[in-house]
Amino acid sequence: MAEEIWSQEYWALKGDVKLFMWRKRVGDPAHDTAPKPVLFLVHGSSFSGPTGFDLQVPDKPDYSLMDKFASYGFDVWTLDHEGYGRSDSTDGNSPISEGVHDLKAGMDVIIRETGQTAAAFYGSSSGALRAAAFAEAHPEHANKLILDAFVYTGEGAPTLIERAKKMDQWTASNVRPVDRAFFLSIFTRDKPGTTEDGVAETLADTELEICDAVPTGTYVDMCSDLPVCDPTKTTCPVLIIRGEHDGIATEEDLLDYFNKLPTRDKQFVIIPGLAHVTFLGRNRARFWHVMKNFLNAPGRVDQQ
Amino acid sequence: MTNPITNMPNDPGDIQGEEHWAKRDDIDLFLFRRYSPTARAANPDKPVLFLVHGSSFSARTAYDLDIPGQGDYSLMRTFAGLGYDVWTMDHEGYGKSTHTDGFSYIADGVEDIKAAAPIVEKVTGKKSFCFFGSSSGALRAGGFANACPDRVEKLVLAALVWTGEGSPTLKKRAEKIDEWRASNRRTVDEAAYLNIFNRDVSGLTIPELPAAAAKAEMDNGGGSVPNGTYIDMCVNLPVVDPTKVDCPVMIFRGDHDGIATDEDVLGFFTALPNSDKQLVMVSGQAHNTTIGINRGRFWHSLDGFLGMPGRVDQ
Repeated sequence: MAEEIWSQEYWALKGDVKLFMWRKRVGDPAHDTAPKPVLFLVHGSSFSGPTGFDLQVPDKPDYSLMDKFASYGFDVWTLDHEGYGRSDSTDGNSPISEGVHDLKAGMDVIIRETGQTAAAFYGSSSGALRAAAFAEAHPEHANKLILDAFVYTGEGAPTLIERAKKMDQWTASNVRPVDRAFFLSIFTRDKPGTTEDGVAETLADTELEICDAVPTGTYVDMCSDLPVCDPTKTTCPVLIIRGEHDGIATEEDLLDYFNKLPTRDKQFVIIPGLAHVTFLGRNRARFWHVMKNFLNAPGRVDQQ
Repeated sequence: MTNPITNMPNDPGDIQGEEHWAKRDDIDLFLFRRYSPTARAANPDKPVLFLVHGSSFSARTAYDLDIPGQGDYSLMRTFAGLGYDVWTMDHEGYGKSTHTDGFSYIADGVEDIKAAAPIVEKVTGKKSFCFFGSSSGALRAGGFANACPDRVEKLVLAALVWTGEGSPTLKKRAEKIDEWRASNRRTVDEAAYLNIFNRDVSGLTIPELPAAAAKAEMDNGGGSVPNGTYIDMCVNLPVVDPTKVDCPVMIFRGDHDGIATDEDVLGFFTALPNSDKQLVMVSGQAHNTTIGINRGRFWHSLDGFLGMPGRVDQ
């Protein structure tokens, strides 16, 4: 029988902005005090942390990335960035740079609760930009970095070319409305069929219960401010994962970033059968496998 | 229980070693197989893994080395313990295979593997296998994947060089091109292995390794190897066409490997048409990733790639 997964809500504070955090692991930490490696999941532009990473799809098991990695032995956390999900909405548009401050506030909570000062960070899409920028700003808090559905300069990216056509709309307001049709479009824009029927619908239902608009800051950043990350400033081991059909970046753009990373512990993995939202795709088990293998790589015997 | 050095499961206790022979024209080619009936039964989906040796070691020196008291140095035993059906072969002029007057070039190595494949198929019942090659073994394996794509399920290339442009090791090696061409063989002894293990960086192999490798090579093949792959790597690159490799590929590169530049390896990776591909760079590794002190990190990556779940939509 599978071990029971324990969960709890937390709140981080960024100034007077309250940020919602969600944690899952096997065993109540009040009783099970043995430290587990911390994995911090960073959400992207269009849906909040628990909705994306802890999705429970009726009659379809194994859609929660948090449950999966908790079962692998990790202490898994996520956070709703400013203006998303259960976190405070402000007059700001929650750009990438604000996301870095959010993650710092979240990391303070993790340090307080776990006693661990560094975590492995996973980010998807603009969440990967937030996570990479955080690793640059606070290298002492990032021991490994996984960048999924990442984009560096944005040069030639089909999704961003399309998105930039609405730049006036993204800059006219600090939020953009989201509805069911929009959420469904995320899962079909690259390659229809890479996600099971019912997954996008469940995600839409879940997210629309808590919001009907999300901030525009990351869209503005990705259309007009790239690059927002400097690979030469990232020092920890890095895994770049790319779904075969992801239109958010070209392969050349990602390899350029990869080549500039100074660390010699780095991996570039392309996974067929996946699109932009790898962790909710039909072939997500292949994504889990790659991510788990990277996180569990043995250390160097000459540095122990 | 896992081995604290390699982070791999301990020996299941029933690992077999079998000798087989292939024939290419009048050349006898030595094949060696390791597997564990217990581990195979527990992991029936694990594939046949065929290991292709490089320029300076015969097969069992490279992949089945025994260094008493120094932990597990055999890639064959480790992967047999994980459930793989592990094979390797001595190419023409190496180890127990016929020592001819030829140079045993990369192209000859591809023909050797063509001759071996039916033997492996006959014993295992499998028509296609996963291939791992290191250094010129990666070129042989890549060349075979070009020539016989139906035989190659997955391809793992370690210590790979493509065009050779800017390669420190090959620049140095090319200074002796007349020597490599003057004879079809060169001596490999403890001094030669000491140089191979320390040419990139020192400290990433144990001090006992050169003597152990020299003894194994003397026992396996008499202490000399052909020059063909050295000549190919100095003057005939590229010998593998990435655009004609159809299967999933992992390229594994140690941080101190002087056989190629990052740019050269990235160029090969970019040119691969199959979108099922991985480029893995790992620190604490030099040219010979399989027998370095951090070989556990390489084994972890290799097992991870070979153990990737299949697509549910196919």
